[in-house]
Order: sequence, then C-alpha cells, then structure tokens
Amino acid sequence: MDQPLNNTKTGLATSILWHLKYSLGKDIAKATKRDYFEPLCMTVRDHLIAGMIETERRYVQEDRKRVYYLSMEFLIGRSLGNNLLNLQLYEAFQDALAEQGLDIEELREEERDAPLGNGGLGRLAACFLDSMATLGIAGFGYGLHYEYGLFKQEIEDGYQKEKPDFWPSRQDPWEIERADEACVVPLYGRIEHGIDRQGLYNPMWLDWQVIVGVPYDMPIVGYGGTTVNYLRLYAARASSEFSTEIFNDGDYFRAVEEKIAAETVSKVLYPADTFAAGRELRLIQEYFLVACAVRDVVRRYLRTHTTFDAFSEKTAMQMNDTHPALTVVELMRLFVDEYELPWERAWELTVGTLGYTNHTLLSEALEKWPVSLLEKVLPRHLQIIYEINRRLLEEVKHRWPGDLDRMRRMSLIEEGPEKKVRMAHLAITGSHAVNGVSALHSELIKKALVPDFHELWPERFSNKTNGITPRRWLLKANPLLAGLITRTIGADWITDLDCLRGLEPYAVDPVFQQEFMDVKKKNKETLREVVFATTGIVIDADTLFDVQAKRIHEYKRQLLKILYIIHEYLLMTEDGLTPLIPRTHIFAGKAAPGYWQAKQIIKLINSLGDVINNDRRVGNMMKVVFIPDYRVSLAEKIIPAADLSEQISTAGTEASGTGNMKFSLNGALTIGTLDGANIEIMEEVGEENIHIFGLKIAEVEKYKQSGSYDPWEWYHHHDVIGRVMDTFRDDRFSPREPGLFRWVFDRILNEGDYYFHLPDFLHYIESQGQVDRDYQDQSLWARKAILNVARMGKFSSDRTIREYGRDIWGVI
Amino acid sequence: MRIDQIKTGAVLVVKPMDKRIDASSATAFKAKIADLIQGGEKRIVLNLSEVDFIDSTGLGAIVSSLKAMGGEGDLVICNPRETVMSLFRLTRMNRVFQILPSEEEAVASLSKT
Repeated sequence: MDQPLNNTKTGLATSILWHLKYSLGKDIAKATKRDYFEPLCMTVRDHLIAGMIETERRYVQEDRKRVYYLSMEFLIGRSLGNNLLNLQLYEAFQDALAEQGLDIEELREEERDAPLGNGGLGRLAACFLDSMATLGIAGFGYGLHYEYGLFKQEIEDGYQKEKPDFWPSRQDPWEIERADEACVVPLYGRIEHGIDRQGLYNPMWLDWQVIVGVPYDMPIVGYGGTTVNYLRLYAARASSEFSTEIFNDGDYFRAVEEKIAAETVSKVLYPADTFAAGRELRLIQEYFLVACAVRDVVRRYLRTHTTFDAFSEKTAMQMNDTHPALTVVELMRLFVDEYELPWERAWELTVGTLGYTNHTLLSEALEKWPVSLLEKVLPRHLQIIYEINRRLLEEVKHRWPGDLDRMRRMSLIEEGPEKKVRMAHLAITGSHAVNGVSALHSELIKKALVPDFHELWPERFSNKTNGITPRRWLLKANPLLAGLITRTIGADWITDLDCLRGLEPYAVDPVFQQEFMDVKKKNKETLREVVFATTGIVIDADTLFDVQAKRIHEYKRQLLKILYIIHEYLLMTEDGLTPLIPRTHIFAGKAAPGYWQAKQIIKLINSLGDVINNDRRVGNMMKVVFIPDYRVSLAEKIIPAADLSEQISTAGTEASGTGNMKFSLNGALTIGTLDGANIEIMEEVGEENIHIFGLKIAEVEKYKQSGSYDPWEWYHHHDVIGRVMDTFRDDRFSPREPGLFRWVFDRILNEGDYYFHLPDFLHYIESQGQVDRDYQDQSLWARKAILNVARMGKFSSDRTIREYGRDIWGVI
Repeated sequence: MRIDQIKTGAVLVVKPMDKRIDASSATAFKAKIADLIQGGEKRIVLNLSEVDFIDSTGLGAIVSSLKAMGGEGDLVICNPRETVMSLFRLTRMNRVFQILPSEEEAVASLSKT
C-alpha cells in the first residue's frame, strides 16, 4: 500500500481520472470541465497526506518541540494554487490537465475562499502557518471550523449588504475529519465546595453541560514539500448523551433544538474587529477553542512522555491576541485539577509554555469579560482566575508596598458597577513572552498600554514585526512579476526574501524598468476586467491606480482619502484645473455589520463614484470605484495592480498592518503616515522611495493631552478644508437624499474629529502632489517601485517566524 | 437501568450494566443505591467497568449516593474506563472517592475497614 505517488504527467492524469470516477462516481465520458475541480484537489491532497504522514513520523522520531498557534481566525483564502506551488508540482499538474483539454487557471477559479477571518489578524495566522511549514518547524494552527465565515459583501444602492457565506458549502476538498480524536468540553454548571479524602478544600465542578469538539485537519505544506503540518479546526457537535433523556421523553423537537444549540458554537465567525462585549456565544467560542486545543496538546504530549517534566521544553503555545487567553486558565485547571500537580509547578509549566501576541491598542478592542458571565459559563475557571490574581497582587504588593493604585491598575479584575476580567492582563501574567507586531506598537505596549506590567517583568516584552509569506503574496498572487524576478536574479528569493536586494542594480536599468512596468500594466489590465465584471465601471489601465483596500474603519481613515478625492474633484470642476496625471481611486473592504459609520463610508464612496464617474468635466482624469467583497482571492488581483498604496491611519492606531507590506512587495509606492509598520517600511525602502506625511504620534498625543485641537479652527483658517467639508453639509454628493452625508460634517467638526483628519489633510494633499510629479516621470517611478520590491526582505513572515522561533518558542 | 449485585462478605459490589449513566438513568440509579443503603449496606463497591460515559447528572447521582451514607461506611469505585476516569478528574471527584483499578482491590480495601 505504501507506494510512492506518481508525479509524472501521466501518473497525475491517471489519479485525477481515478478520483473523478471512483471518489465522485462520475462517468468520465460525460464529465464537464467543472467536474474536474474536485478530483484535481483530491489528487493534490493525496500528495499532501503522504507528506503529512511522513512529517509526523519525522517529528516523533526526533521528539521535536511542537508549536501550537491558537487563533480564532485563519484567513486562508484559496488553497489549490498555493498547495501546487509549494509542492512544486504546478507545471506537472498544468501539463496533466492540458492533456485532458483543461486549463488549470480556469479550474483554480472554481475554488471558494475559506473566509475564516476578518482581516489582518487572521491573514497573519495563515501566513505564519506557511512560514512554519517552509522553515520545517513543527508548528500547527488551532482554530474553529466555522460553518459561516466572514459574510459575503454585496453592494445594493451603494450600501453594503451582508450575505451569509456558507463554508464549506460542499465537503471541503482539503480537510480531513478526525472523529476519533474528538473531545468533550464542559460548560456552565456550579461549584460544590467540599473536602477531599485528606480533608482539604475540594471544589467540584458539577452539573455542567457538554459539547463535543470534532477536529478537521487541513494540511499546510511548506515550500518544497518537505514539511506538511496541519491546521486543526474544531467543529462543535452535540454530545449524544445531551439529548438522551429528552428523546426518551418523546420530545423529539426539543432534542433537536438542543442539538442545534450545541452546534451553534462553531456556526459563525464574529464579523467585527472590535470586542463583542457581553456576547455569551463569543465567550463560549473562545473557551471551546481553548479547551479543545489544550486537551489535544496535552494528549499528544503524553503519547510520548510519562510526566509533565518536559512539557514546556517540548511544547509552545502562542495566543494570537487575547481571544484564546483562557488557555492560561485551562492549562492551570488541567494541571491542578486533572493531573494533581502542585499550583506552583503548574504555574511554572503554564508560563513556560505560553506566549501572547498583542494586536491592538484600541480600547474598544481590548477584551474584558464580565465576572458574572464567566461565573455562569465557566465557574471553575473563575475560581482559578481569582487565585492567579491573588498571587499576582501579592507579587505587586511585595515589589511596591502600599501602592494601592498600582494594584488596582494591574489587577486581573476591573472594579466598577460591573466587575470584569481583563483578558490582556491575564494573558500577560500567564505568558513568558509578550510581543507587539511592529517596533512602534511594541514600544506603545510598554509605555502606554501596560507600563506597570513592563516594569514588573521587562524581560517578557519584545517586538516581532509582522510579515507576509512571499509564496502567497508574490509567487502565487503575481506570477508575472515573480517570473521576471526569477529570470533576473534566480529563485532563491522564494525562501530567502532578502535575496530581492539583488534587484537593486536593475532599478536603473531601462530595459528592466520597461519589463517591470509592462508587468504592472498587465496586472492593471487584469484588474480592469475584474472591476468591470463586478461594478460595470470602465477604468483605464493607463491611469495611476491609487488603492485603499482594507477593513473599513474610521481609524484607517478612508475618509481622509475621500476628502482628497473631493478636493481634486473641486479643483477640476470649480477651479477649472487639470490634474497632472489621471487617477483611478480604488477602494475595497468590508465594514462590520454593526458599525454604522463604516457602512456609511462605503455608501459615500459609491455616491462619490456616481457623481464623479458621470461628470463629463472630469472625463478620464479621475474615476472612483468600490470593488465589492474584498477577500484573499480578490486581494491577490488588486494588490499586484496597484501603483499607490494608501496606508494613512492616524499615527498610533494601526498596530502593524500587513497590507502595506503586500503592496510594496508587489511594486506599489506607499503614501502613508508614521504608523505601525509603515515606519519600518520607510527605514527599509528609504525615505526617498515612500511618501510619508502627517502628524507623528507624539504630536497626536500632545493634541489629545492639551485638548488644543479644534477642528473648527482648521475649517475657518483653510479655505481648502472649508470647501471640502461644506460638500457634506450641502449635499453635493447626495442631491436626491438631503442630509445623507451630513454626519461626516458633524463627525469631524462637531464631534471633535477623533482621528485627526483635518490636521493631516493639507500635508496629505502636498504629499499626493509629489506622487503626481513622481508618476509623471515613469522612469523615476519605475526605479522607486523596483527599489520597494528589492528592499522588502525584512517583511517576509519567514523572518518573523524565525524571530518567534528563536526568542519565544525555542525551536530555532 | 440494569445493575448487577454481588455480596462478598460485608462488601456489596454494585455493577451497572448499561453503557451510560446519564440524565435518563441517573434517577433510577440514585434510587437503587439509596434503597441499598437504607437496607443496611454500608460498604459498597461501584464497579464501573461496563460504563462508557457518565454525564454530569450521573456524576451528581454518585456524589449523592456517597452523601446518603452520612459518613457511615464508604463507597469505593473500581475499574473505571479512561473516558469515565477523565470525567472524575475533570470534576475533581477523584479526590473524594477512593478509586481502585480492580474489583478485588476495592473489595479488599473495604474489607479492612
């Protein structure tokens, strides 16, 4: 049975046909082109499974330390193309399919995105899995098998409409159900305070209900195919005993309702990038992930070890944000309650095992769960949280005697009308390593977010600047550019992105510049087709593609770009000026369904487009388009086509950003603020190859602290600002719906302009002017764009993972 | 619920023969043990070798049975499968009950007292 797989053209074709006939029961003579998609995936999957089994054998043989990356989101996107490239079997499959008269690219379009994440945090997790496998690290993702991933975005009358995205609608070709490794997760119940046989206090967790976690494994192949790890996603199922009594009572419908209730746990991904306060289901989701993961991790460890002595030497668990922060408590509960380890030893193992990555400084995104909710859902865990807190505060008291304010600030419990558990404090206390995701963000964690914790445990804090996988974001997303690079400097960049430095001498080579710009043009033509197919708007690939593609949020300041577009429009239509260069303003991104302003921003963009795109005075000099349903596969078409990348968040709000890296790697110039990883991108590409503008974080802070920022002053003192702002008051872009965008006028002028649009606006206009001038000189632009690509080596997620592996996980 | 009983000296071995002790059978199980205790049985071995799963109601019934003894005598558990043992550990009930790997050891343990 253990025959090697046949990688020849004939072998692959035979396998595809075999799966078509025997796995899917299709008559080959009658099969349509689309019928070949699943057999193709199944044949690729055969190779992945072979690699996965071989990899696991190797790990066991070498008793490798395993890294478990816990995340509520893994924004995988499509897998077929990535798997083929990483297996290095793309050409072989292409040839095998061609013999059957099939185009591999057409079949790839059949695949649906796995939308198991909201944005950057989930995509980062997916990039990390790719890098861990490529670097040969025994690293595994643990997440939830949502039935409904992030909603599908449709645009109706300019507004976002959310439509459910059922995933997987069919059995996903990549995942493998592991019903034999299902685990039982208890919830709710009460604590019975008793004594044990030694007469010691013994809290018993009774009357719980259970749900069952069934794992599904999705193979993750590293580049070269040597290592195949997996992403393990848990689906919630009703436990069969859950409904026995009810069935026996003859109440079939109640039994079914309870079954549905249990399975609701993994039904839907929460579609917000802020904290869903008070949402019991979200808390249960978080615990469900943690409980399943911890049981699995411990079970796996105990297969090859008889004591816990080597647990933290052989196991690292990384918490992606605070969403899995209950891992601290669950590990302690397991060690202390189920394996009867002394508290001190259990704590040592827990802290030695766990690492925590912070992703946000925004207060509304910091998780704080009400004590009353935890008491209801996880009564035993709340007891353990109290004990962790008691010991923490003892340590604080010992270090700073009498400093009650500090104790209050550091406590895991936030006092107030409703007591809450601060999940970030819990995660920091229970981890040996805490990191931010860009140099600036990591400094802000230490200085502004949790300075007391930094003072107590300075050695725990470090920075791990985010990265992106070059396999997905260049090799797969931009085959034309990848091909040009490989033909010029060889293929080593695929696994060592610093090799892109080899392109620097070519930045001034006119022949290479032309080839580079030709690639960009072709990518823009591809995107032009996508724009036409999805919006009906005709755009011109000879204009500058100015792109802002990311979640819609006020802090990311889509509004700032909107102000600029209006400014340019007024220059053309009221002042009769012609811009230096024609631009196509492209937006894409989803708004959280409950975030009114974000959804209105989408409407505003579409309304701007309706007016501007149909104004004859503007002609081809400017177009505004909003491409619906931004997702990984769409990003792979937008990013390679961008000339200009908008990274314009208010300084101090974006933790890192990874879109900024993807655009730059694909030869777009950045216009951006000194925020998140933009700063490090500037350091790498050079100040002359990036357009930086706007307030620095210290200036923003100064405004905030002094309260000296008055948006009305800016409005009155700068005609440019006044004229743009008045368009919202005067319904310029909503003539048939008076008052529709008045909220922007109010939000910025009457409600304080929390994200400092106006102080940055004039600098932004200046900086955009410089972009125009640079773009006029195509040779200069090409040189800068090539240098952006050449200097992106630092932002490979391979570098990020090496740093995690060396500094936090101890696997490199 | 089917329950086998074997008396060995002063010790009564009670062996549930169903695969599960859950909400549908816990009441009957509790009543049966209560009857035995009221009937004078003070040294009881609960042999769980046939049981695959006990839900929280079933575990509650076992705790109640111990309480019903009122501190006189003892209830010892033997032969739990790993799935059942993991539930005892989860609830920390393993610290309240003496749990032994075989019926012989359990009977011997209670015979000494």
